[in-house]
Amino acid sequence: MIGSKSGLDHCFAILSFFNNIGCEKSRRKIYDEYNDEEVELTKEETKLVRRMLKGKTPHADFDPYAPYVDWFKWEDAKHPLSNAPEPKSRFIPSKSEAKKVLGLVRAIRKGFIKFDKPKEEPRFYMLWGDDASSSEKSGHLSYIPAPKPNMPGHEESYNPSLEYIPTQEEINSYQLMDEEDRPKFIPKRFTSLRSIPAYENAVKDSFERCLDLYLCPRVRKKRINIDPESLKPKLPSRKDLRPYPATCYLEYRGHKGAVMSISTEASGQWIASGSSDGTVRLWEVETCRCIKVWEFGEVVQYVAWNPLPELPILAVTVGQDVFLLNSGLGNEEIQRKVKELLHVETPTAPEDSGNKVSGWSWRQDDEHEGIRLRHFKSVYSVEWHRKGDYFSTVMPAGDSKAILIHQLSKKFTQRHPFKLHGLPVSAVFHPTRSIFFVSTKKNVRVYDLLKQKLIKKLETGLREVSSISIHPAGDNIIVGSRDGKLCWFDMDLSSKPYKVLKCHPKDINNVAFHRSYPLFASCSDDCTAYVFHGTVYSDLNQNPLIVPLEILRGHASSDGRGVLDCKFHPRQPWLFTAGADSLIKLYCH
Amino acid sequence: MDMDGDVEERRVQARFITKLKPPCKVPHTSIAIPANVTRFGLSTIVNSLLKAGNDEWESQPFDFVIDGELVRLPLEQFVLAKGISAEKVLEIEYIRAVAPQKEDEPSLHDDWVSTVDGSCPRFIFTGCYDSFGRVWKAAGECTHILEGHRDAITSVTIVSPEGADSVTVATASKDQSLRLWKFDTEEHLDQPAKIRAYKVLRGHNASVQSVAAQASGNMICSGSWDCTINLWRTNLSDTEGDLVSIKKRKVKNNVEESQMEGEALSTLVGHTQCVSAVHWPEHSTIYSASWDHSVRRWDVETGKDLSNIFCGKALNCLHVGGEGSALIAAGGSDPILRIWDPRKPGTSAPIYQFSSHNSWISACKWHAKSLFHLLSASYDGKVMLWDLRTAWPLAIIDSHEDKVLCADWWKGDSVISGGVDSKLCISSGISVQ
Repeated sequence: MIGSKSGLDHCFAILSFFNNIGCEKSRRKIYDEYNDEEVELTKEETKLVRRMLKGKTPHADFDPYAPYVDWFKWEDAKHPLSNAPEPKSRFIPSKSEAKKVLGLVRAIRKGFIKFDKPKEEPRFYMLWGDDASSSEKSGHLSYIPAPKPNMPGHEESYNPSLEYIPTQEEINSYQLMDEEDRPKFIPKRFTSLRSIPAYENAVKDSFERCLDLYLCPRVRKKRINIDPESLKPKLPSRKDLRPYPATCYLEYRGHKGAVMSISTEASGQWIASGSSDGTVRLWEVETCRCIKVWEFGEVVQYVAWNPLPELPILAVTVGQDVFLLNSGLGNEEIQRKVKELLHVETPTAPEDSGNKVSGWSWRQDDEHEGIRLRHFKSVYSVEWHRKGDYFSTVMPAGDSKAILIHQLSKKFTQRHPFKLHGLPVSAVFHPTRSIFFVSTKKNVRVYDLLKQKLIKKLETGLREVSSISIHPAGDNIIVGSRDGKLCWFDMDLSSKPYKVLKCHPKDINNVAFHRSYPLFASCSDDCTAYVFHGTVYSDLNQNPLIVPLEILRGHASSDGRGVLDCKFHPRQPWLFTAGADSLIKLYCH
Repeated sequence: MDMDGDVEERRVQARFITKLKPPCKVPHTSIAIPANVTRFGLSTIVNSLLKAGNDEWESQPFDFVIDGELVRLPLEQFVLAKGISAEKVLEIEYIRAVAPQKEDEPSLHDDWVSTVDGSCPRFIFTGCYDSFGRVWKAAGECTHILEGHRDAITSVTIVSPEGADSVTVATASKDQSLRLWKFDTEEHLDQPAKIRAYKVLRGHNASVQSVAAQASGNMICSGSWDCTINLWRTNLSDTEGDLVSIKKRKVKNNVEESQMEGEALSTLVGHTQCVSAVHWPEHSTIYSASWDHSVRRWDVETGKDLSNIFCGKALNCLHVGGEGSALIAAGGSDPILRIWDPRKPGTSAPIYQFSSHNSWISACKWHAKSLFHLLSASYDGKVMLWDLRTAWPLAIIDSHEDKVLCADWWKGDSVISGGVDSKLCISSGISVQ
């Protein structure tokens, strides 16, 4: 309230203050510094100052708590309060935000900002597995999803387009197919949904489903990833197994009917063949020249050379007869010996009647210069013993006398003394020991001829055995069958086949072992011959090695028959095949 | 030759040289010839050059040798393949083309012709499956028939062709014997003379497959199906009395004729299968081929085999000749004619293989004079002429209808061959130097 300019002014102010004490009026006087005058305040003015000092409104008549009067009409207001257009800034990207983003991006790039680290793999694991989870697994059955059925295709529509409908021929051909190969669903056509009949297999299906559920619980199939190549047996390469017959160079032409049987002479210089045109021909291997022809007028079933090179005798089966023929080879001495051997004494006539009862007779045959050995039923095959004196004949329809063993030097015949179980197919001598193999349609029986007893019975498991061949060492046998299967038996191993080779789609007609090379072959009605490598190890622990080598083609089919016989050359790795197309072919290495 | 027409054509400088006699010689100057000419083009050039020098020249085919190999490709390709520089003057040697000019009328036999020998230029000697041997003076002119064998003749050889008029021959047969015959070639007869053997050689136990004579004519050797090679003496005089027996034999006209029988001098054992071919080129060395897949060289003095070449195939024929008379040619149960050089150390792989045939090879023969030429006969009915300098056959003689069983050179310029069609074919006019 009291201004002070200097010390002097201050003294004056204090003096005036003391002067004015006691004066009522002087209390209301105020010095106005701006106008440099003394102003006396009125009563109203002091009241105003006092109200202000108390913090009240200066005028006493103003009511700060007067009721609020809303002057805006809120009802029926359709428009916003402001009708101004949206500012442009709302549509353009914000520069400031862009700057911020840029800053963040730079910071990330430079690595100022770091994100969360990726989760680290646990360095340690439970060595004995997670016990909790395994117990959990065994606690309940794991879920096995049912195999997904294929999506239905157009052919399963009730009204498929015509191309899906099989023709009648196709439907007939389905009937010929194997049950498993037959298609499960044959598309049919109905003009409308209404005409579809009830599902015919409904009962059958549900019955089978019940059987399935009853017998075959669904099992989770464990899929193992195996390279299919690794499952293949490790076989040596064909190149390393040479020589083996591969190419046909020579053909022996001359027969007019199917060549039923061939046989190679021991030295390999000649072969003989019997044909359905009723002739037996003798060929020179080297030049394919036909040396000699014998006419029989009936189908020649089987020819077999005597295994001794100094006895060039040919055994031939024709109908009910077995002819022993002099091939005419060799020098005078051999010829003399052969003629002596092939001479039947006539005085056997009185014995003849006795023989007739037993069903066979030895007779001289002047027409063919040999012996005619008449049987009571048609003879299928004839096989020589290795010493060239005995030979066996097989008459499939001969019942208990179906297999006979003949002795050439004594002109003597005996019956195979064992009961046959089934129709005999062939009877073969063991190549080194006195063992005799008889194959019936189902199995092969091995007899010891000296001890007169059955040694072994080999179960083929085939539908019908057609041919049999003995390995030159004698411990292994191959058996061909009419259902195209070839069984290899290891006699030391078991009476079950060691290996079954299913190669031919049609009947196997003959099987053959090579005498010296580790080769064997099979020939079939599908006009092919297969050549296999078959090593037999002297080590008993090692199983025989069988490798398919070559398919020999070339023969033509005739009357549904293909290659009827195959024989190996005795010394070369060559194969002779006799075809129903009247040809004999020689496949060389 | 219009050689100036094409400017773009590449040319090579070439000079033609030859070892032929003067009428066939061209000037020794180098000329530019188109680079893409073939053998026929080259032949035309040489013929025109010869014609320019000699008006009466009749053109004939030539073959061309560059660096020891016959030209079988267009010249440019050949030069490229051989890696010869095209810059320098190419030296092209020309020789007469080896191809038969003429086919004689085939001489008919009664049966398959199994073997033929043409080593004597005066006659051809054939063996036949009807067991007769025949001597032919020329095509269709049979002079002698050799009777006596009881089975097919498999092999024949002329033992002593140098004899003045009397000739000794040997035959091998399937009746397990060999026979020696003697006849006079100069006889002139209207009908073929029938001759009997003067000596029968027995000792084999199986068909005799092959026979060969020593060059001197004193001995012959024979290979047989009994896996042995037997050596026999051919001489008439029975010096070794104990080995010779005289057999009296009645003939039709009741004249008693003597026939000697001989036994083998020695036997070479070693083969394990049929000895299908023997050859006796030198004094004491016999070569033999067998179905046991081997070719062996035998020393006659010791009876041991000196070397053994393993072939892998059954062999049917063998002949030794060519360079140094040492190359062994053999063929067998496959269509490949193989040639070995036994002097090459450490290897038994064939040095040449010719494989144009389609079937078994039944005969192979070297040319007597040439170092390069040989022939082969095969069951595919073809006789092929080969030159060692090229892998393709020089000529293919396709005159047989069926298997060819035998073939040989005759007079140095003809090929004689016999086969299953019972014909003896003579293809002549082959100019081998």
